[in-house]
Amino acid sequence: MTAAVTANERRPHAPMDAVLAARLKEIVGPRRVLFNPGELLAYGSDGLPGYFKQPSMAVFPGTRDEVAGVVRELARSGVPFVPRGAGTGLSGGALADGVVLLGLNRLSRIIAIDPENALAVVEPGVVNVALSRAVSPYGLHYAPDPSSQAACTIGGNVAENAGGPHCLKYGVTLNHVVALTVVLPDGDIVALGNAAGESEGYDLVGAFVGSEGCFGVALDVTVRLARNPEAVRTLLADFGSIDDAARAVSAIVASGILPAALEMMDQATIRAVEASIYAAGYPTDAAAVLLVELDGPAAGLDADVATVERLCRESAARTVRIARDEAERAKLWQGRKKAFGAMGRISPHLVVQDAVVPRTKLPEVLAGVHEIATRLRVKVCNVFHAGDGNLHPNIGYDANDPDESARVHQAMREIMQTCIAAGGTITGEHGIGLDKLPYMDAIFSAESLAAMCSLRDVFDPDRRANPGKVVPVHACREWHMAPRARRAAENP
Amino acid sequence: MTTSVTSDAAGTTGELRERVREAIVQRRGLRITGSGSWLEANRPVAAATMLSIGGLTGLGDYVPGDLTLTARAGTTLDAIASVTAAEGQWLALDPLGDPAASTIGATIATASYGPLAHHFGTPRDATLGLELVTGKGEIIRGGGRVVKNVAGFDLTRLITGSWGSLGAITEVTVRLRALPAVQRTLAIDVGLDVPAIDALGATLRRLPFVPLAAQLLHPALASALQVGTTSHATLLVRIGGNAEAVKAQLGQLRAIGEARDAPERVWDLLRSREQGSVVAFRLSRLPSRFAESWRDAMQLLDGIPDAYCHGDPARGVVRCVIPPGARADMSTLRRCITSPFTGTRIVETLPAELWPLVAPSAASNRLSHGIKRAFDPDRVMNPGILGEAE
Repeated sequence: MTAAVTANERRPHAPMDAVLAARLKEIVGPRRVLFNPGELLAYGSDGLPGYFKQPSMAVFPGTRDEVAGVVRELARSGVPFVPRGAGTGLSGGALADGVVLLGLNRLSRIIAIDPENALAVVEPGVVNVALSRAVSPYGLHYAPDPSSQAACTIGGNVAENAGGPHCLKYGVTLNHVVALTVVLPDGDIVALGNAAGESEGYDLVGAFVGSEGCFGVALDVTVRLARNPEAVRTLLADFGSIDDAARAVSAIVASGILPAALEMMDQATIRAVEASIYAAGYPTDAAAVLLVELDGPAAGLDADVATVERLCRESAARTVRIARDEAERAKLWQGRKKAFGAMGRISPHLVVQDAVVPRTKLPEVLAGVHEIATRLRVKVCNVFHAGDGNLHPNIGYDANDPDESARVHQAMREIMQTCIAAGGTITGEHGIGLDKLPYMDAIFSAESLAAMCSLRDVFDPDRRANPGKVVPVHACREWHMAPRARRAAENP
Repeated sequence: MTTSVTSDAAGTTGELRERVREAIVQRRGLRITGSGSWLEANRPVAAATMLSIGGLTGLGDYVPGDLTLTARAGTTLDAIASVTAAEGQWLALDPLGDPAASTIGATIATASYGPLAHHFGTPRDATLGLELVTGKGEIIRGGGRVVKNVAGFDLTRLITGSWGSLGAITEVTVRLRALPAVQRTLAIDVGLDVPAIDALGATLRRLPFVPLAAQLLHPALASALQVGTTSHATLLVRIGGNAEAVKAQLGQLRAIGEARDAPERVWDLLRSREQGSVVAFRLSRLPSRFAESWRDAMQLLDGIPDAYCHGDPARGVVRCVIPPGARADMSTLRRCITSPFTGTRIVETLPAELWPLVAPSAASNRLSHGIKRAFDPDRVMNPGILGEAE
């Protein structure tokens, strides 16, 4: 193996940073470039615990023109950068290791709302829930609803192709983005997709959404909005065993009823929630609860509710409760949405895992996770999108305890291997970032990974945008020196 | 139709890769075909050799409880439908063309869709993963067999709708849906003037449910399908759900007009009458401007015997078809694809000599050039199919 130095590993020298900082200040104003290590501390981590990576500087443009100006300046200087929205990502995608952090949270304008066509154009820093709030007077909402929706931004959602509980029925971020304006890492501005009609040619929107900040920076995003359903029913079913709950999930999915959401929480999660200010009234002696939401036209909905209730009871549900009003529904959901926060109270550190398995494999995979946790003596809390087969086994621990940390990491590896062996994948909505890089070889061949590298090189031949993320560097070896050499050959 | 494509038929992905590698060495362009039923598109491919995926047939994993299915690319939509229907499920893609001939590989390669896109979206939304032999002679996989997946850059989306210009799809995994317990198809008369069609669009948007399909049919088409008369446009609506939901939906459709029952097979007739069209193109604008696009389509087709259009008001798309018997002269056909239009015009099928008029190519931007070069540097896979320059 040769020790080739790649753009991913390049560090700008400090004196060059000072020159660059001065130039960036001219674009965004002196207060919007952070340079001192003390100021940068807050940007050393994102939602992924256990990592700290210090950026060389952080720059916060306030307008789309300023973003484009900053990206062009970074291109001129040949400096790598990491785009960042709210920093709530759970795979380390927004960590900037010695490179420039490009904060987009100030771009929080909703540019246009078109209620008739159910479209909105937003800047990347618009907070997810703020968009739903802004369009609610029109009877609309933005469907993808990650649990961090009170803080996370649409730009970050686009980068990660974010999901959420209601994606079971309504689809993930990708299914809701119709067009984007993007500044490519070299400063070129391109329009992807067509908000006002059909698109043809390569699906560049599809390629960009979920590219984890490696393909450029979205300046604006046109999203499709969803009409608020006429009626909503929320059920809570509790079970004496996880296996029973998992069988109920399979039965509901196989029945053909498509719930708006189908979530599972195990006993450890239930107890954490019930011990917190987010107590939702979940039965603390249950091995697992299912939170099932059905929505749509009022007519026929109660027939589906009755079917779901029957399927739960046939899978040995102890009780099935239907929320009587909006307040009870909101309370049931709050427990689910704040489950991560509630777990945070129990242990100093929390690993939030993300994997997907075929839905019929849920019972055996959950049994496997339980076996791993028991053998390695770690505390796994399962709270996840059961209807999608999207697992979130979370492990609370003390990162300062080396023995416990080692067992937690071993458990995580074994859980991922269990999911892969079941025909699943290593991330359903959190992204690869840094955290999942070691698993990419387990699910993709070298040729597939090389194809991903070559796709990145189309958008970012210098590999300066979010360097070192998504595709392991060794998988791009064939291409290491290729981009510059190729361009040199093309432009002698 | 298959006789001309057997010379390079491959039975396995590995064999297909060898064909591609030979073509690279010999610098010989390959024209990828499934069953050959979409060859009438006459797209300008600079390749003398056919590469057929027609031999790659059969289902892989199908676990009904997962609502996902893996199939070799040459499997026909009919073959998939018969297997899934036995489990009360369907692949909710109904591209226009003969379902007994249309392959799943070609459907995804061309991102072709039909009336069900109204509710279920297009191949973009249904494709979970695929296997591709690239123009570099490599076998790559994107996505997977689960319904939610953000592992790595999205090769599946990139390849869906790329018209075989990056490689040949050899296997796909798609999302299935449960067949509705009850389905009904209804026909409703709609006036031909812009205000009437505007009102139709607005009413459809206000319905508390989303129909499975809603197609506005040109009078000639409605009449040919025996669901309407030549004096009106006809809205053909497909609804579904549990019995109670369908009953309510029937009542809600009265907001549009009086609905009469139509046979469910009308949807198959609409699909299968497509074979051999001379010209087909789609006009699109925002859904709120559907009536304008409909008016433009009617004007473009005015005076061409047997020409017709149909469209989905919710998607804002009107599709214009000139069948082979229409006896339209070249200048009329040329006018259809070159006359000024303020929305987006996408051409599906044209006589070969008219393709050069379709400009600029959808692949004429810097990123698309780069993608083509990255996956097919020697330009062996369907070269020129997107009108891309050398």
